[in-house]
Amino acid sequence: MTLATLQTRLTCPFCGPRHLSEFVFHKTVAPPNASPFAEVYERIDNPNLSIEHWQHVRGCRSWLRVHRNPSSGSVLEIHLLGAAI
Amino acid sequence: MSHRDTQAATRVGTRIANKSIKFSFDGQEYLAQSGDTAASALLASGVREMGRSVKYRRLRGLLAAGPEEPNALFTVGNFPNIIPNVSAPQLVLRNGMALRSQNRWPSLKWDVASLLQAGGGFLGAGFYYKTFIWPSWKTYEKLIRNLAGLGAAPGVCSLSPPKIMYASCDVLIAGAGPAGLAAALAAARAGANVWLIEREPVVGGELEFEASEIDGLPGAQWIAATLAELARRDVKIFTDTTIMGGSSDLIIAHREAGGIAGNNAVYRMKPRAMVAAMGAVERPIAFVGNDRPGVMLINAAEKFLARYGVKIGHELVLFANHDRVYAAAARLQAGGMRIRAIIDTRLTASETIPLRGDLMRSGIHCLLNTAVLATIGGNRITGVKIAPLDAPHQVRTLACDSVLVSGGWSPATAQLTQSHFIAGAEHGCLELNAALHDGYTAGRTAAQVAGKTDLSGTAPRGHGDLTPSLMPFWRSPSDPIREKYQFVDLQNDVTVADLRAALAEGFNDIEHVKRYTTLGVGTEQGRTSGLLGAGIVAELKGDPLTKVITSRERPPYYPMTLSSLAGLRVNGALRPTRKTALHQWHESNGAVLESMGLWMRPRYYQANGADAFTAGIAEARRVRSIGGIIDSSTLGKIEVAGPDAAAFLDTIYLSKASTIKIGRSKYMVNLREDGMVLDDGIVLRLADDRFLATVSSGHAEHMLSHFEYYCVARHYPTISDIRAVSVTDVTESWSVIAVAGSTSRHALAQVLGNEWLAKIAQLTHMDFAVGLFQGHDIKVLRASFSGELAFELHCRPTHTLALWEGLVAAGLLPYGLEALDILRVEKGYLVSSEINGQTTPFDLGMDGLVKQKNTCVGRELLNRPAFHEASRPRLVGLKAVDGKSKFLAGAQLIGSLAPRPCGHVTSTVYSPTLKEWIGLGLVARDYALGDIVRAHDPLRSGNTRVLLVSPVHLDPSGARMKSMSRAP
Ligand SMILES: [Zn+2]
Repeated sequence: MTLATLQTRLTCPFCGPRHLSEFVFHKTVAPPNASPFAEVYERIDNPNLSIEHWQHVRGCRSWLRVHRNPSSGSVLEIHLLGAAI
Repeated sequence: MSHRDTQAATRVGTRIANKSIKFSFDGQEYLAQSGDTAASALLASGVREMGRSVKYRRLRGLLAAGPEEPNALFTVGNFPNIIPNVSAPQLVLRNGMALRSQNRWPSLKWDVASLLQAGGGFLGAGFYYKTFIWPSWKTYEKLIRNLAGLGAAPGVCSLSPPKIMYASCDVLIAGAGPAGLAAALAAARAGANVWLIEREPVVGGELEFEASEIDGLPGAQWIAATLAELARRDVKIFTDTTIMGGSSDLIIAHREAGGIAGNNAVYRMKPRAMVAAMGAVERPIAFVGNDRPGVMLINAAEKFLARYGVKIGHELVLFANHDRVYAAAARLQAGGMRIRAIIDTRLTASETIPLRGDLMRSGIHCLLNTAVLATIGGNRITGVKIAPLDAPHQVRTLACDSVLVSGGWSPATAQLTQSHFIAGAEHGCLELNAALHDGYTAGRTAAQVAGKTDLSGTAPRGHGDLTPSLMPFWRSPSDPIREKYQFVDLQNDVTVADLRAALAEGFNDIEHVKRYTTLGVGTEQGRTSGLLGAGIVAELKGDPLTKVITSRERPPYYPMTLSSLAGLRVNGALRPTRKTALHQWHESNGAVLESMGLWMRPRYYQANGADAFTAGIAEARRVRSIGGIIDSSTLGKIEVAGPDAAAFLDTIYLSKASTIKIGRSKYMVNLREDGMVLDDGIVLRLADDRFLATVSSGHAEHMLSHFEYYCVARHYPTISDIRAVSVTDVTESWSVIAVAGSTSRHALAQVLGNEWLAKIAQLTHMDFAVGLFQGHDIKVLRASFSGELAFELHCRPTHTLALWEGLVAAGLLPYGLEALDILRVEKGYLVSSEINGQTTPFDLGMDGLVKQKNTCVGRELLNRPAFHEASRPRLVGLKAVDGKSKFLAGAQLIGSLAPRPCGHVTSTVYSPTLKEWIGLGLVARDYALGDIVRAHDPLRSGNTRVLLVSPVHLDPSGARMKSMSRAP
């Protein structure tokens, strides 16, 4: 494993690749169709895929759904939150 | 004394010069040689006792010769200008330096608290967890506060800011021992731009004392030749620099020359590839009394001899589980120390060690399959008890003054392991040639990763000490009752008995054992104790070590001076100040400003009193008698518009926004998804499809994100259909002036003009009117947070000053945050510490809002049974039973039903109207209004009997406001 694969940038669908410090992490999403209780307290515990909500706060302010591999630190996909999947 | 001085003056070592300097330790003057560290100079002067342990206050000496030293941490300088917790082996002395030992009172030799442990009445594992709860915490608090922690904090900080450097390179190499130097050679020969980082002031690692030959040259000469080649190839070398951490492509290194904060530097490095060759740290073996001054790691004794010419003792016993001990013994013997015995726990020693025979012939007992069971002596060692491992009751005693121990080496694996190539001893290559080869290969691979293709050249070849042939051995046999003297972590006084207790109490995982016992949580961060503790846990559990593993390492790798972490002092240059439109006016009218987030707000005006307390009282009193104005422009303002605006707000507020009529407003509350109260504010309906939501000044930025999130988050079923809504931050588009008091209506009409007279007169509570002021938009909202007749004026920033000055001219003088708090607490309005992320709407008396049954974010979770238990807090008013005593926010409330606190005080003010201290608090529901509890505040010596009353202290029926409501 080399350093080059670890990311300190996220690619915003609007703004392109920007430094991580422009983004704020909000939460790891719950399993789909979770009950309100599960929504708050349950998480998908997958070492290879974490689905997270981030906001490009110091940029265009869009909310993003980020798919990350926590084991390798790599970002797999980024979508606008709320957009059709 | 003369003996010491002579000794100090004649030492020869690789790091010292024959130039005498003076320093003091605990008030006593000593001589040292230039280049000496505090540790080497004290050892040379015959001083062994260098500190006391944190918990049991046991007298301690040096264990190690590096930053992993657990015991000898000193305070440098004289109060207030001190630097605490400096590791003695790292601290390079300067002439005149004043050092003090730590964790003792009144002196190192006589420590009162150490008497607590006399007779073995030890505070075992979990002591803190068991006493940090009420009621015992109340009993022990003072004692524990006096005992806890390392050295005292400095009274001033006069350190210069660190240099901060950002840079990138092809290959970063951590550690400049044999493996690191070989890696640097390989990467540089491949054409890579290489940086080499070394924690010590010189490169070479163990080659400083290990008898070695590399590429036909003695170790020291090979280092010189290598440094010359690296210089030719433009390799940058950073000595005195440690890699502190870095989880991504950013590596943070810290330079602290001489082991003490001063001209520090912080490097933020972005390498394309990295080699970690940080070596391995020798670890001790646990045996009874292994914490006595005079028990030291073998490697440390060798370092003190080679670097500083210090003999750490006169009569040594060496105790180890590997072949390296014999080479070390030969060097220590050659250095003039007498070795009584070498105790080897293994059944056999390697046949290839001719040294062992030589040592035996010179009269040293070389015993196999034997262990040191215990040290004997008082504060100083007078001997050891040893026994064969297959017959542990056949105990023999050997006289000695020092015990050198080695239980093997723990790799200096930082938290970086996932992102780099590991080489050398850190990679398990403890033999010199293997380390050189491993380093060279790693350096070459790193260069390849960095895009270099010319990979010619060969690894250096050498030989030094033999492969250790280590057999794991963690602790000597012991009577279970004596396990509390078998120390694993000397810094935190964690013993084998503690580890056993943790396992017995169900803390099975090594991470739990660590937290329960405090194993490896000190400044040594498990360097000497981590793997040792894990080994013993594995043995106690009967599990293989690979199943137990060590606890996770966390940055910083070594203790780091806080001022380096603070970074540049830029006096706010990187932190903009937000100023309201009235900022200039406040400043030129004697306001004392206070920062609130990025905003600056007047706390009080100096014309009203010399300090915040007196001025606040004067200002609050005037609001109640005449009236006053406050600049509330920092209030967060979010405009929500679109066909779905009302539906959207319904889902993010506890009560409905859709029922608000145009021209009306409503006090509303937001919940978090878990049902806790997030924020409160007033929502104004500007039009059918347009609202203005006001949010707390301090939460404004977060609340904007919150609004934006629920515009797109689809996990709330009620939100999933809402699309036609837009959220706009209009915080800085509107200034807000809050006007309160009986004269406010009159003053408003005077300033806004007579055409407003009727409009204002018609406004009932929570109505607002829109219109123009000097040709610009203005909203006048009738809302009160002071119990007085009050209005909020929303106007354009460009015309705020004119409006403000008009109001001042009409007789309404400004008040600040201090008075605002008084007015709010008098009326029982939430100040800020009541919405702390742990309070539900029920706790805060908002049951009425919940009853409206609006489906919103967080609503479902309000039904959780725990939210309705009698132990849940409830907002109450508080006042001193005697009507005059003072009590402060933060005090714990203790009632008669249970010894534990039943709540705490969230805000207090002195009310000039009621002429007494009043407050708000959160108190368990099983207490009723009228009950008396104590406000317990030991740190500020407070212990006031307080009465639980309604949160509305002043005018609960609202008569004041109603009487003023009638239009003039
Ligand atoms: Zn963006």
